[in-house]
Amino acid sequence: MKRVLTLPALVLWRAFFWTYERGTWQYDLWVIAILAFVWLTPPAWLSDPMATGPGLVGWLRTLVQ
Amino acid sequence: MFPLSAIIRACVVLRIHPNILTVTGVFINVLAAWALGLGAFVWGGVIMIAANIFDFIDGKVARELKWESEFGGFWDSVMDRFSDISLFIGLIYLYAEKGRTDYVIVTALAMMFSVMTSYTRARAESIITKCKVGFMERPERIVLFMIGAFTNRMAAVMWVLLVLSIVTVADRIYHTWRELNHSPKIEERLEHRLAEIRLAATPAKGRTTL
Repeated sequence: MKRVLTLPALVLWRAFFWTYERGTWQYDLWVIAILAFVWLTPPAWLSDPMATGPGLVGWLRTLVQ
Repeated sequence: MFPLSAIIRACVVLRIHPNILTVTGVFINVLAAWALGLGAFVWGGVIMIAANIFDFIDGKVARELKWESEFGGFWDSVMDRFSDISLFIGLIYLYAEKGRTDYVIVTALAMMFSVMTSYTRARAESIITKCKVGFMERPERIVLFMIGAFTNRMAAVMWVLLVLSIVTVADRIYHTWRELNHSPKIEERLEHRLAEIRLAATPAKGRTTL
């Protein structure tokens, strides 16, 4: 149980207490996460005053429906 | 890169002072802010690229001309803050114009923590040797601004800037506190704990006693 708690704590700590250089795989992972948030989140969820269209997720949803 | 090296060469031949290039970048960024304020995001993005060319070449021109100076570094940092703040003000104007006080607050807070990101490092490095921790530094901020402008996803970008700038400021405060108090690192303590748990999970006969 303790191990289960310690490993995610370490991962979270390293993700947020950032000491890595640019170009490392950890950096690339953060960049992917940020771009996914920016491009995939439907603008309506954030009440974006400027964005037009449903965004990538909204577009995929309409495609599936 | 050919176009950039040609611009640098031209600036060196014309002996344009690097500090002039730096301030030119700020003026172009103010134009970008104006475009953002008008809601012309793509134009804002294009002008931001032009402004950042100046930001990129000033140091290189200074080196080529052997005009590097401590004041040049200071001037560059101060002008960078003006550029950053201008872009945020452009967006604050836009959201205020649209009557979106929620995004006025989000953008104003993102601006505050972006400035604090630079301030905490500058102030920390006057008392400790290095404070290069935290993800959201200026290059990341500028690239995110451009992504937001070109893909019209500025609201999401503002949220990312706000959250990660807060985390970066917190990182820098914590790092400085730890350096000044010689406190053991949290990650080292967690790793030590993990090693203890692994050792406890290993069967007794597999262990070696030295």
